[in-house]
Amino acid sequence: MRDFIDRLGSDGMRQWLPLATLIILVAIVGVMQPVFLKLPTLLQLASDTAVLFILATGVTFVIMLGGIDLSLQSMASLSSVIVALTVARFGYGSFVLAVAAGALAGFLSGIAHVKLKIPSFIATLATSGVLFSTALVISQQRSITLGDADRSYQTWITGNVAGIPNVIIIGLIVLAVAHTLQAHTRFGRYSAAIGAGEPAAYASGVKVDRQKIFAYVLSAGFAALAGVILAGRLSSGSPTLAAEMLLPSIAAVVVGGTAITGGVGSIWRTLVGALIISVVRIGMTFLGVNIFAQNIVFGVVLVLAVAITIDRTKIPVVK
Amino acid sequence: MTAPALSLVNVDKRFPGVHALTGVSIHINQGEVIGLIGENGAGKSTLMKILSGVYQPDSGEILIAGKPCTFESAADANRQGIGMVFQEQSLLTNMTVGENIYLGNEAQFTRYGLVNWTALYAAAARQLAKVQVDVDPRARADTLSFAARQMVELAKALTLEEHAGGHLVILLDEPTSVLEKAEIEILFARVRSLKTRASFIFVSHRLDEVLELSDRIYVMKDGAVVADLDAADADTTKLHQLMVGRSLQAEYYRVPLQRPFRDEVVLEAEGLGLGTAYSNVDFKLHTGEILGIAGVIGSGREELTRTLAGFAPHDGGKLRLRGQEVRLANPAEAVDLGIGYVPRERRVEGLVLFLSVSANITLADLASLTRNGLINASEERRLAKSWVERLKIKTPGISTLCLNLSGGNQQKVVLAKWLQAKAKILILDHPTRGLDVGAKEEVYDLVRAITTEGLAVILTSDTLEETIGLSHTLLVMRDGRITHRADGSPGHKPRQVDLIGHMV
Repeated sequence: MRDFIDRLGSDGMRQWLPLATLIILVAIVGVMQPVFLKLPTLLQLASDTAVLFILATGVTFVIMLGGIDLSLQSMASLSSVIVALTVARFGYGSFVLAVAAGALAGFLSGIAHVKLKIPSFIATLATSGVLFSTALVISQQRSITLGDADRSYQTWITGNVAGIPNVIIIGLIVLAVAHTLQAHTRFGRYSAAIGAGEPAAYASGVKVDRQKIFAYVLSAGFAALAGVILAGRLSSGSPTLAAEMLLPSIAAVVVGGTAITGGVGSIWRTLVGALIISVVRIGMTFLGVNIFAQNIVFGVVLVLAVAITIDRTKIPVVK
Repeated sequence: MTAPALSLVNVDKRFPGVHALTGVSIHINQGEVIGLIGENGAGKSTLMKILSGVYQPDSGEILIAGKPCTFESAADANRQGIGMVFQEQSLLTNMTVGENIYLGNEAQFTRYGLVNWTALYAAAARQLAKVQVDVDPRARADTLSFAARQMVELAKALTLEEHAGGHLVILLDEPTSVLEKAEIEILFARVRSLKTRASFIFVSHRLDEVLELSDRIYVMKDGAVVADLDAADADTTKLHQLMVGRSLQAEYYRVPLQRPFRDEVVLEAEGLGLGTAYSNVDFKLHTGEILGIAGVIGSGREELTRTLAGFAPHDGGKLRLRGQEVRLANPAEAVDLGIGYVPRERRVEGLVLFLSVSANITLADLASLTRNGLINASEERRLAKSWVERLKIKTPGISTLCLNLSGGNQQKVVLAKWLQAKAKILILDHPTRGLDVGAKEEVYDLVRAITTEGLAVILTSDTLEETIGLSHTLLVMRDGRITHRADGSPGHKPRQVDLIGHMV
């Protein structure tokens, strides 16, 4: 078993494994249910993937530099509550407010992690608790359904352009922006350097703390954007709206081939990972797997993906 | 005559780019104390790691009492009677002395999964009695002095007697580096009294101690044993000559290429100090100058270089960069001011091993490659290629991970990074550590070339010879203070013995 996993983990294979997996999965599901390969189903698949992809994109930045953000589902839920509560008053401003709240939460997580030198999983776990309770309190523990007047502000999420759902276009814009940030800016390069070798990055004059804080701002900011879109698609805001999305999001990043130990990865890989998760989800639905049992599968997938992608020569001790 | 307790026959070991050990043969007789000396990089630590089972030799034989054997791991070497006392002390300070002594070997005191602590501590007390040290086995290790901890390690090594059956061989790797003079005497007395139980291999860079304790001495150089002599027939001068192995060759350090430095002062320290590490340090570094700092471990020179690289801000005196007073709070500030650091830990602090050659070369200078927030990828490739050509970096391509380069070529990438960042001052912290001779010479060539072009260099080295050979000016440090200054211009270079007197 270890041998097999190691062989899958060899460099040449590792790079193309996620894409090959995606193609094979699409083929399997397509054979089982030919309707799956029809355009409307594929558009539906892409729309359903958008929120997951945006969440996963945010946390990709954090994972790239060797950290983790466990607060993203609480952030997305809180964001949906903020939109539901304020859209009537602020209109489009409510979306800006929600994303700004995300950026602030990410900033605070980043400060706690970097300045107080707390491991990122603890810092963001604590943030997650704070955000979840905030959402519970301000929503008075209920789900808030958007009124008809409020929904007019949501057409940028729920509408279509030439038959293509807007949410797909939003996903593509996120892809373009995030890919540019990750692959073509100093921030992206520094993140990779920090993830792969923080002492060398520090000694080379990289302002490590600043890059880290920015990554947490991006992560929570994208989570908030995901919450905004979720609120629009479901026409409601709730403190548990994005519950159960943390595991699939992190699984998407890792399944796509970004190393959980940092340094290696890309937004493209996260896109592939998010699509794999979506196809698996749909495949399970076709197979009649209980929707509440799906995280059992994602949990197993996450462990296997980490086992395959992790480079054991790099980390002698795992804690 | 009985077979030696332990012998190595024609042991060879290679690492990528380095032939670490070449046909090494040594033997240790029962009850003998063997001294093992050599400069850094001579192969001592590789040899010790082979003896302790951490590395396996590529070829050659290991014999215990005349029987061939192999050490699969450190635990395996332990089982066969090889004990170790390391320079970086290996006791776990959050555990008691007794727990440390039997760490990993608690099974003998365990019944039904429960440890009989009374029995364990009683056994630990017996072990401690063997080395005649007055330590409570129930005391936590961090309450002990360094000397007492060393004795506990020795006691721990002696527990191997119980399983190994045969005669023990105990490796002492720089055991005196953290001890006071009186403590060293006690350690030596214990080692001598234990000769009936064990043989010892004693590694130290303090030649007088090696002479005092050892019966016989092996001298290593460039991965080979170059001398095997009785301690009675040796003295420090002779040992030193054997270690260095050649009279100072001016060409080796490119002394004919050494150009006088210019008058312009780029960096000036005035009464510089940091805690108890160093104080009252004064120097002036000029354009084109190599300023070498000599000193033993603990002399303060390590901390001084770290200060100048931005890792350990000074808390006393003044540091002026081109006349401006500065305090370097972190490496980023130092880099912004044109200071580049070439660290001794090349693979940790020098390079991001899992990034490409080109990404490493541009890492400290991405700002100048960025237009409208985006890195200019084609310009980056062009620059990386030109550095690979100019410094003759041997790599399959600029997108190869630095991990796959040899040590010498990795070091060239580090230098390329700082040249690309247009650093005006380079801090070279043991720049040739772990490099073989050819790679060293290439580094010397480069260092000469960049200083001729007007960079200034602060240098600390593994060997005094290298410091003297390269430097225009020499500072000697001891106990945190500068004890001596010497001119290092060609023809006036001081001899090593002239400086050693100020170092120890």
